[in-house]
Amino acid sequence: MISITLNVNDNEYKVEVAPYHSLCDVLRDKLGFTEVKNSCNQGECGACTVLVDGKPVSSCLMLAAQAEGRKIVTIRGLSKNGELHPLQKKFIEYGAVQCGYCTPGMILAAKSLLDEDPNPSEDEVRIAISGNICRCTGYQQIVEAIMAAAAEK
Amino acid sequence: MSNTKTLFRPSEYFKPTSVAEAVKLLEQYDEKGWLIAGGTDLLVEKDPQVEVLIDIAGLGLDYVKSDSQGVRIGATTTFANIAASPILQKNPYNILVQAASQIGTPQIRNVATIGGNICHAVPSADSAPALLILEANLSISSKAGERSIKIADFFKDVRKDALEKGELLTEVQLPTFPARTGTAFLKKGRVAVADLAVVNVAVRITLTADNTCQETNIALGAVAPVPLRAREAEAMLKGKKPGEEFLEKVAAQAAEEIKPISDVRSSAEYRKTLSRVLVERALKEAIARAQA
Repeated sequence: MISITLNVNDNEYKVEVAPYHSLCDVLRDKLGFTEVKNSCNQGECGACTVLVDGKPVSSCLMLAAQAEGRKIVTIRGLSKNGELHPLQKKFIEYGAVQCGYCTPGMILAAKSLLDEDPNPSEDEVRIAISGNICRCTGYQQIVEAIMAAAAEK
Repeated sequence: MSNTKTLFRPSEYFKPTSVAEAVKLLEQYDEKGWLIAGGTDLLVEKDPQVEVLIDIAGLGLDYVKSDSQGVRIGATTTFANIAASPILQKNPYNILVQAASQIGTPQIRNVATIGGNICHAVPSADSAPALLILEANLSISSKAGERSIKIADFFKDVRKDALEKGELLTEVQLPTFPARTGTAFLKKGRVAVADLAVVNVAVRITLTADNTCQETNIALGAVAPVPLRAREAEAMLKGKKPGEEFLEKVAAQAAEEIKPISDVRSSAEYRKTLSRVLVERALKEAIARAQA
Protein backbone atom coordinates (compact mmCIF):
# COMPACT_ATOMS: atom_id res chain seq x y z
CA MET A 1 0.00 0.00 0.00
CA ILE A 2 1.10 3.54 -0.61
CA SER A 3 0.04 6.66 1.25
CA ILE A 4 -1.17 9.50 -0.97
CA THR A 5 -3.02 12.78 -0.55
CA LEU A 6 -5.86 13.54 -2.92
CA ASN A 7 -7.35 16.99 -3.38
CA VAL A 8 -11.07 16.47 -4.00
CA ASN A 9 -13.45 19.43 -4.26
CA ASP A 10 -10.81 21.64 -2.58
CA ASN A 11 -10.39 19.36 0.43
CA GLU A 12 -7.31 17.23 1.10
CA TYR A 13 -7.71 13.54 1.92
CA LYS A 14 -4.92 11.28 3.12
CA VAL A 15 -5.60 7.78 1.94
CA GLU A 16 -3.84 4.41 1.73
CA VAL A 17 -4.14 2.88 -1.73
CA ALA A 18 -2.71 -0.06 -3.60
CA PRO A 19 -0.79 0.77 -6.80
CA TYR A 20 -3.56 -0.84 -8.85
CA HIS A 21 -6.49 1.05 -7.29
CA SER A 22 -8.27 3.22 -9.80
CA LEU A 23 -9.18 6.79 -8.91
CA CYS A 24 -12.83 5.79 -9.35
CA ASP A 25 -12.60 2.95 -6.80
CA VAL A 26 -10.75 5.09 -4.27
CA LEU A 27 -13.17 8.02 -4.61
CA ARG A 28 -16.18 5.72 -4.20
CA ASP A 29 -15.06 3.02 -1.79
CA LYS A 30 -12.48 4.74 0.38
CA LEU A 31 -13.62 8.36 0.38
CA GLY A 32 -17.39 7.99 -0.10
CA PHE A 33 -17.77 10.06 -3.28
CA THR A 34 -20.43 7.68 -4.61
CA GLU A 35 -21.68 10.35 -7.03
CA VAL A 36 -18.79 9.17 -9.22
CA LYS A 37 -20.57 6.36 -11.06
CA ASN A 38 -18.86 3.19 -12.14
CA SER A 39 -20.31 1.45 -15.15
CA CYS A 40 -18.21 0.03 -18.00
CA ASN A 41 -14.82 0.23 -16.23
CA GLN A 42 -13.22 0.54 -19.69
CA GLY A 43 -13.31 4.26 -20.39
CA GLU A 44 -16.14 3.99 -22.89
CA CYS A 45 -19.24 5.21 -21.05
CA GLY A 46 -18.13 8.35 -19.22
CA ALA A 47 -20.22 7.67 -16.09
CA CYS A 48 -17.10 7.85 -13.88
CA THR A 49 -16.00 11.22 -15.31
CA VAL A 50 -14.36 13.62 -12.87
CA LEU A 51 -12.43 16.80 -13.58
CA VAL A 52 -8.68 16.56 -13.05
CA ASP A 53 -7.05 19.98 -13.23
CA GLY A 54 -10.20 21.18 -14.97
CA LYS A 55 -10.29 18.51 -17.68
CA PRO A 56 -12.73 15.58 -17.83
CA VAL A 57 -11.09 12.18 -17.40
CA SER A 58 -12.45 8.67 -16.94
CA SER A 59 -11.60 7.95 -13.30
CA CYS A 60 -11.79 4.19 -13.99
CA LEU A 61 -8.79 4.55 -16.32
CA MET A 62 -6.65 6.61 -13.97
CA LEU A 63 -4.82 5.19 -10.99
CA ALA A 64 -5.44 6.99 -7.71
CA ALA A 65 -1.66 7.35 -7.44
CA GLN A 66 -1.58 9.21 -10.77
CA ALA A 67 -4.03 11.78 -9.41
CA GLU A 68 -1.89 12.82 -6.44
CA GLY A 69 -1.04 16.52 -6.50
CA ARG A 70 -3.82 17.35 -8.95
CA LYS A 71 -7.18 19.04 -8.37
CA ILE A 72 -10.08 16.60 -8.60
CA VAL A 73 -13.66 17.82 -8.90
CA THR A 74 -16.73 15.60 -8.60
CA ILE A 75 -20.29 16.74 -9.25
CA ARG A 76 -20.61 17.41 -5.50
CA GLY A 77 -17.99 20.13 -5.85
CA LEU A 78 -20.09 22.23 -8.24
CA SER A 79 -22.76 23.63 -5.94
CA LYS A 80 -21.65 26.55 -3.80
CA ASN A 81 -23.24 27.36 -0.39
CA GLY A 82 -26.16 25.08 -1.09
CA GLU A 83 -26.88 26.66 -4.47
CA LEU A 84 -26.76 24.49 -7.57
CA HIS A 85 -24.38 25.29 -10.43
CA PRO A 86 -26.12 26.93 -13.42
CA LEU A 87 -25.60 23.73 -15.45
CA GLN A 88 -27.33 21.68 -12.76
CA LYS A 89 -30.26 24.11 -12.74
CA LYS A 90 -30.59 23.93 -16.53
CA PHE A 91 -30.45 20.13 -16.50
CA ILE A 92 -33.43 20.14 -14.13
CA GLU A 93 -35.28 22.83 -16.06
CA TYR A 94 -34.86 21.11 -19.45
CA GLY A 95 -35.67 17.58 -18.25
CA ALA A 96 -32.13 16.47 -19.06
CA VAL A 97 -32.07 14.00 -16.15
CA GLN A 98 -33.88 10.71 -16.62
CA CYS A 99 -32.36 7.77 -14.70
CA GLY A 100 -29.57 10.13 -13.63
CA TYR A 101 -26.68 7.70 -13.93
CA CYS A 102 -24.87 9.61 -16.69
CA THR A 103 -25.73 13.03 -15.25
CA PRO A 104 -22.66 13.69 -13.06
CA GLY A 105 -20.32 12.87 -15.95
CA MET A 106 -22.40 14.80 -18.49
CA ILE A 107 -22.44 17.94 -16.34
CA LEU A 108 -18.72 17.77 -15.57
CA ALA A 109 -17.84 17.31 -19.27
CA ALA A 110 -20.10 20.27 -20.06
CA LYS A 111 -18.56 22.39 -17.28
CA SER A 112 -15.07 21.84 -18.66
CA LEU A 113 -16.29 22.92 -22.12
CA LEU A 114 -18.03 26.07 -20.85
CA ASP A 115 -15.03 27.03 -18.69
CA GLU A 116 -12.89 26.95 -21.83
CA ASP A 117 -15.42 28.26 -24.34
CA PRO A 118 -18.43 30.11 -22.88
CA ASN A 119 -20.16 30.27 -26.30
CA PRO A 120 -19.85 26.83 -27.90
CA SER A 121 -21.72 25.76 -31.03
CA GLU A 122 -24.12 22.84 -30.79
CA ASP A 123 -21.52 20.69 -32.58
CA GLU A 124 -18.90 21.61 -29.98
CA VAL A 125 -21.33 20.67 -27.20
CA ARG A 126 -21.99 17.31 -28.83
CA ILE A 127 -18.26 16.64 -29.22
CA ALA A 128 -17.64 17.64 -25.58
CA ILE A 129 -20.17 15.06 -24.36
CA SER A 130 -19.26 12.43 -26.97
CA GLY A 131 -17.47 10.41 -24.28
CA ASN A 132 -20.59 10.25 -22.12
CA ILE A 133 -23.26 7.70 -22.93
CA CYS A 134 -26.90 8.22 -21.91
CA ARG A 135 -28.82 4.95 -22.04
CA CYS A 136 -32.13 6.75 -21.62
CA THR A 137 -31.20 8.53 -24.91
CA GLY A 138 -32.07 11.95 -23.63
CA TYR A 139 -29.28 13.59 -25.60
CA GLN A 140 -31.47 16.30 -27.12
CA GLN A 141 -32.54 17.66 -23.73
CA ILE A 142 -28.96 17.41 -22.46
CA VAL A 143 -27.62 19.42 -25.40
CA GLU A 144 -30.41 21.98 -24.98
CA ALA A 145 -29.67 22.32 -21.26
CA ILE A 146 -25.97 22.93 -21.92
CA MET A 147 -26.71 25.46 -24.68
CA ALA A 148 -29.15 27.25 -22.33
CA ALA A 149 -26.54 27.37 -19.55
CA ALA A 150 -24.05 28.81 -22.03
CA ALA A 151 -26.52 31.43 -23.26
CA GLU A 152 -27.10 32.62 -19.70
CA LYS A 153 -23.43 33.12 -18.87
CA MET B 1 -13.61 -15.66 -6.95
CA SER B 2 -11.18 -15.70 -9.81
CA ASN B 3 -7.68 -17.06 -9.56
CA THR B 4 -5.39 -14.34 -8.18
CA LYS B 5 -2.79 -15.05 -10.88
CA THR B 6 -5.20 -13.67 -13.45
CA LEU B 7 -5.53 -10.33 -11.69
CA PHE B 8 -3.79 -7.01 -12.25
CA ARG B 9 -2.04 -6.52 -8.90
CA PRO B 10 1.17 -4.48 -9.23
CA SER B 11 2.79 -4.12 -5.83
CA GLU B 12 4.90 -1.02 -6.38
CA TYR B 13 4.47 2.40 -7.96
CA PHE B 14 7.26 4.84 -8.72
CA LYS B 15 7.02 8.37 -10.06
CA PRO B 16 10.49 9.40 -11.26
CA THR B 17 11.12 13.06 -12.06
CA SER B 18 13.85 12.67 -14.67
CA VAL B 19 14.55 10.44 -17.68
CA ALA B 20 17.77 9.29 -15.98
CA GLU B 21 15.84 8.19 -12.90
CA ALA B 22 13.18 6.46 -15.03
CA VAL B 23 15.64 4.40 -17.08
CA LYS B 24 17.48 3.45 -13.90
CA LEU B 25 14.23 2.07 -12.47
CA LEU B 26 13.50 0.31 -15.77
CA GLU B 27 16.84 -1.43 -15.64
CA GLN B 28 16.51 -2.25 -11.94
CA TYR B 29 13.11 -3.92 -12.30
CA ASP B 30 13.79 -5.44 -15.72
CA GLU B 31 10.81 -7.54 -16.85
CA LYS B 32 8.74 -6.71 -13.77
CA GLY B 33 8.76 -2.97 -14.48
CA TRP B 34 6.12 -1.42 -16.75
CA LEU B 35 5.94 2.16 -17.87
CA ILE B 36 2.69 4.02 -17.36
CA ALA B 37 2.02 7.39 -18.98
CA GLY B 38 -1.71 8.03 -19.48
CA GLY B 39 -2.53 4.47 -18.44
CA THR B 40 -5.62 4.18 -20.64
CA ASP B 41 -4.42 1.00 -22.36
CA LEU B 42 -2.86 -0.47 -19.22
CA LEU B 43 -6.04 -0.09 -17.17
CA VAL B 44 -8.26 -1.57 -19.86
CA GLU B 45 -6.02 -4.59 -20.36
CA LYS B 46 -4.96 -5.02 -16.70
CA ASP B 47 -2.16 -7.42 -17.58
CA PRO B 48 -1.50 -9.69 -14.57
CA GLN B 49 2.22 -9.75 -15.42
CA VAL B 50 2.63 -6.12 -14.34
CA GLU B 51 4.41 -6.07 -10.98
CA VAL B 52 6.02 -2.63 -10.78
CA LEU B 53 4.60 0.58 -12.27
CA ILE B 54 6.94 3.37 -13.35
CA ASP B 55 4.87 6.51 -13.95
CA ILE B 56 6.60 8.70 -16.53
CA ALA B 57 4.10 11.58 -16.49
CA GLY B 58 6.48 13.68 -14.37
CA LEU B 59 9.48 13.62 -16.71
CA GLY B 60 8.64 16.90 -18.43
CA LEU B 61 7.98 15.20 -21.76
CA ASP B 62 4.63 16.90 -22.45
CA TYR B 63 5.49 19.52 -25.09
CA VAL B 64 5.26 20.45 -28.78
CA LYS B 65 8.11 22.62 -30.08
CA SER B 66 9.23 23.74 -33.51
CA ASP B 67 12.52 24.96 -34.93
CA SER B 68 14.30 25.05 -38.28
CA GLN B 69 14.68 21.23 -38.18
CA GLY B 70 10.95 20.62 -37.87
CA VAL B 71 8.69 19.72 -34.96
CA ARG B 72 9.50 17.91 -31.72
CA ILE B 73 6.78 16.27 -29.62
CA GLY B 74 7.49 14.93 -26.13
CA ALA B 75 6.53 11.28 -25.66
CA THR B 76 4.01 11.98 -22.88
CA THR B 77 2.19 14.75 -24.76
CA THR B 78 -1.52 14.02 -24.50
CA PHE B 79 -3.71 13.79 -27.58
CA ALA B 80 -5.75 16.73 -26.25
CA ASN B 81 -2.59 18.85 -26.18
CA ILE B 82 -1.61 17.66 -29.67
CA ALA B 83 -5.07 18.54 -30.99
CA ALA B 84 -4.82 22.01 -29.40
CA SER B 85 -1.20 22.75 -30.33
CA PRO B 86 -0.88 25.95 -32.42
CA ILE B 87 2.28 24.50 -34.04
CA LEU B 88 0.40 21.46 -35.33
CA GLN B 89 -2.60 23.32 -36.81
CA LYS B 90 -0.72 24.01 -40.05
CA ASN B 91 -0.56 21.76 -43.11
CA PRO B 92 1.03 19.17 -43.32
CA TYR B 93 1.39 18.63 -39.55
CA ASN B 94 -2.34 19.09 -38.99
CA ILE B 95 -2.79 15.44 -39.97
CA LEU B 96 -1.73 14.70 -36.38
CA VAL B 97 -4.49 16.99 -35.12
CA GLN B 98 -6.98 15.07 -37.28
CA ALA B 99 -5.75 11.73 -35.95
CA ALA B 100 -5.55 12.92 -32.32
CA SER B 101 -9.10 14.28 -32.43
CA GLN B 102 -10.50 10.88 -33.44
CA ILE B 103 -8.86 8.79 -30.72
CA GLY B 104 -11.05 7.40 -27.95
CA THR B 105 -13.23 9.90 -26.11
CA PRO B 106 -12.50 13.46 -24.89
CA GLN B 107 -11.83 11.89 -21.47
CA ILE B 108 -9.24 9.51 -22.95
CA ARG B 109 -7.62 12.22 -25.10
CA ASN B 110 -7.03 14.28 -21.94
CA VAL B 111 -4.70 11.61 -20.53
CA ALA B 112 -3.63 9.22 -23.33
CA THR B 113 -0.21 10.06 -24.78
CA ILE B 114 1.34 9.84 -28.23
CA GLY B 115 4.25 7.81 -26.82
CA GLY B 116 1.87 5.31 -25.27
CA ASN B 117 -0.04 4.98 -28.53
CA ILE B 118 3.18 4.26 -30.43
CA CYS B 119 4.79 1.90 -27.90
CA HIS B 120 1.64 -0.12 -27.33
CA ALA B 121 2.15 -1.06 -30.99
CA VAL B 122 -1.35 -2.26 -31.77
CA PRO B 123 -2.22 -2.45 -35.49
CA SER B 124 -5.03 0.10 -35.10
CA ALA B 125 -3.04 2.86 -33.34
CA ASP B 126 -4.41 6.04 -34.90
CA SER B 127 -1.22 8.06 -34.57
CA ALA B 128 0.81 5.42 -36.42
CA PRO B 129 -0.27 5.99 -40.06
CA ALA B 130 0.04 9.75 -39.55
CA LEU B 131 3.57 9.41 -38.15
CA LEU B 132 4.52 6.95 -40.90
CA ILE B 133 3.65 9.35 -43.70
CA LEU B 134 5.33 12.22 -41.85
CA GLU B 135 8.47 10.01 -41.65
CA ALA B 136 8.82 10.60 -37.93
CA ASN B 137 12.00 9.85 -36.06
CA LEU B 138 11.85 8.48 -32.51
CA SER B 139 14.35 9.30 -29.74
CA ILE B 140 14.93 6.50 -27.29
CA SER B 141 16.78 6.66 -23.95
CA SER B 142 18.26 3.92 -21.84
CA LYS B 143 20.92 3.68 -19.17
CA ALA B 144 23.42 3.08 -21.99
CA GLY B 145 22.56 6.38 -23.65
CA GLU B 146 20.36 7.60 -26.49
CA ARG B 147 19.56 6.29 -29.92
CA SER B 148 17.11 7.18 -32.61
CA ILE B 149 15.03 5.05 -34.94
CA LYS B 150 12.77 5.74 -37.90
CA ILE B 151 9.10 5.07 -37.25
CA ALA B 152 9.09 2.85 -40.38
CA ASP B 153 11.49 0.50 -38.55
CA PHE B 154 9.72 0.64 -35.18
CA PHE B 155 6.69 -1.65 -35.50
CA LYS B 156 7.69 -5.33 -35.55
CA ASP B 157 4.51 -7.31 -35.00
CA VAL B 158 1.19 -7.09 -33.14
CA ARG B 159 2.12 -5.38 -29.81
CA LYS B 160 5.81 -5.81 -30.56
CA ASP B 161 8.10 -2.90 -31.29
CA ALA B 162 11.78 -2.13 -31.58
CA LEU B 163 12.18 -1.04 -27.95
CA GLU B 164 14.77 -3.15 -26.14
CA LYS B 165 14.63 -3.93 -22.44
CA GLY B 166 15.37 -0.85 -20.35
CA GLU B 167 14.51 1.58 -23.15
CA LEU B 168 12.17 4.55 -22.94
CA LEU B 169 10.73 6.55 -25.86
CA THR B 170 11.33 10.23 -25.11
CA GLU B 171 10.55 12.25 -28.23
CA VAL B 172 8.91 12.15 -31.65
CA GLN B 173 10.56 14.31 -34.30
CA LEU B 174 8.94 15.42 -37.53
CA PRO B 175 11.03 16.80 -40.41
CA THR B 176 10.21 19.90 -42.44
CA PHE B 177 8.41 19.51 -45.77
CA PRO B 178 8.52 21.42 -49.05
CA ALA B 179 5.77 23.86 -50.02
CA ARG B 180 2.83 22.31 -51.87
CA THR B 181 2.70 19.36 -49.48
CA GLY B 182 -0.73 18.16 -48.38
CA THR B 183 -1.82 15.48 -45.91
CA ALA B 184 -5.04 13.70 -45.01
CA PHE B 185 -6.11 11.23 -42.30
CA LEU B 186 -9.28 9.16 -42.46
CA LYS B 187 -10.53 6.70 -39.86
CA LYS B 188 -13.53 4.43 -39.97
CA GLY B 189 -14.72 2.71 -36.81
CA ARG B 190 -18.01 0.93 -36.16
CA VAL B 191 -19.18 4.04 -34.32
CA ALA B 192 -17.79 7.56 -34.41
CA VAL B 193 -16.47 7.67 -30.83
CA ALA B 194 -14.53 5.42 -28.46
CA ASP B 195 -13.98 2.56 -30.91
CA LEU B 196 -10.78 1.30 -32.46
CA ALA B 197 -10.34 1.79 -36.18
CA VAL B 198 -11.66 -0.79 -38.63
CA VAL B 199 -9.24 0.90 -41.02
CA ASN B 200 -7.26 4.12 -40.72
CA VAL B 201 -5.45 5.77 -43.59
CA ALA B 202 -2.93 8.58 -43.87
CA VAL B 203 -1.59 10.20 -47.05
CA ARG B 204 1.06 12.85 -47.77
CA ILE B 205 1.63 14.26 -51.23
CA THR B 206 4.13 16.85 -52.41
CA LEU B 207 3.33 18.41 -55.78
CA THR B 208 5.57 20.37 -58.12
CA ALA B 209 4.50 23.78 -59.48
CA ASP B 210 2.74 22.07 -62.42
CA ASN B 211 0.88 19.62 -60.12
CA THR B 212 3.11 16.63 -60.82
CA CYS B 213 3.41 14.24 -57.86
CA GLN B 214 6.92 14.59 -56.55
CA GLU B 215 6.56 12.41 -53.50
CA THR B 216 3.66 10.38 -52.12
CA ASN B 217 3.38 8.47 -48.85
CA ILE B 218 0.41 6.22 -48.13
CA ALA B 219 0.02 4.42 -44.79
CA LEU B 220 -2.72 2.16 -43.46
CA GLY B 221 -3.53 0.81 -40.01
CA ALA B 222 -5.64 -2.06 -38.62
CA VAL B 223 -5.13 -4.02 -41.86
CA ALA B 224 -1.96 -6.02 -41.07
CA PRO B 225 0.04 -7.05 -37.98
CA VAL B 226 1.71 -3.62 -38.07
CA PRO B 227 0.73 -0.21 -39.47
CA LEU B 228 2.34 -0.14 -42.92
CA ARG B 229 3.18 1.90 -46.00
CA ALA B 230 1.72 0.91 -49.38
CA ARG B 231 4.97 1.42 -51.24
CA GLU B 232 3.99 0.07 -54.65
CA ALA B 233 0.93 2.29 -54.72
CA GLU B 234 3.13 5.23 -53.72
CA ALA B 235 5.56 4.50 -56.56
CA MET B 236 2.73 4.55 -59.15
CA LEU B 237 2.22 8.26 -58.51
CA LYS B 238 5.83 9.37 -58.91
CA GLY B 239 6.07 11.90 -61.76
CA LYS B 240 2.36 11.60 -62.60
CA LYS B 241 -0.36 14.20 -62.86
CA PRO B 242 -3.09 11.86 -61.68
CA GLY B 243 -6.69 12.12 -62.81
CA GLU B 244 -9.57 10.53 -60.94
CA GLU B 245 -9.33 7.18 -62.76
CA PHE B 246 -5.64 6.86 -62.01
CA LEU B 247 -6.21 7.61 -58.31
CA GLU B 248 -8.74 4.75 -58.28
CA LYS B 249 -6.02 2.44 -59.61
CA VAL B 250 -3.53 3.63 -57.01
CA ALA B 251 -6.08 3.02 -54.26
CA ALA B 252 -6.81 -0.46 -55.62
CA GLN B 253 -3.07 -1.22 -55.57
CA ALA B 254 -2.82 -0.01 -51.94
CA ALA B 255 -5.62 -2.42 -51.02
CA GLU B 256 -3.56 -5.25 -52.55
CA GLU B 257 -0.62 -4.50 -50.25
CA ILE B 258 -2.46 -5.12 -46.97
CA LYS B 259 -3.11 -8.35 -45.08
CA PRO B 260 -6.32 -7.78 -43.15
CA ILE B 261 -7.92 -10.26 -40.78
CA SER B 262 -11.57 -10.79 -39.86
CA ASP B 263 -12.43 -9.91 -36.28
CA VAL B 264 -15.25 -8.54 -34.16
CA ARG B 265 -14.95 -5.12 -35.86
CA SER B 266 -14.99 -6.18 -39.49
CA SER B 267 -14.49 -8.95 -42.01
CA ALA B 268 -11.21 -9.01 -43.92
CA GLU B 269 -13.15 -8.45 -47.16
CA TYR B 270 -14.78 -5.30 -45.82
CA ARG B 271 -11.41 -4.00 -44.58
CA LYS B 272 -10.03 -4.47 -48.09
CA THR B 273 -12.89 -2.61 -49.73
CA LEU B 274 -12.81 0.12 -47.10
CA SER B 275 -9.05 0.54 -47.52
CA ARG B 276 -9.47 1.15 -51.25
CA VAL B 277 -12.23 3.70 -50.68
CA LEU B 278 -10.42 5.54 -47.87
CA VAL B 279 -7.09 5.67 -49.73
CA GLU B 280 -8.79 7.18 -52.77
CA ARG B 281 -10.57 9.80 -50.64
CA ALA B 282 -7.41 10.58 -48.68
CA LEU B 283 -5.39 11.00 -51.89
CA LYS B 284 -7.94 13.50 -53.22
CA GLU B 285 -8.00 15.41 -49.92
CA ALA B 286 -4.20 15.53 -49.70
CA ILE B 287 -3.89 16.75 -53.31
CA ALA B 288 -6.47 19.48 -52.66
CA ARG B 289 -4.53 20.61 -49.58
CA ALA B 290 -1.23 20.55 -51.46
CA GLN B 291 -2.76 22.85 -54.08
CA ALA B 292 -4.37 25.18 -51.54
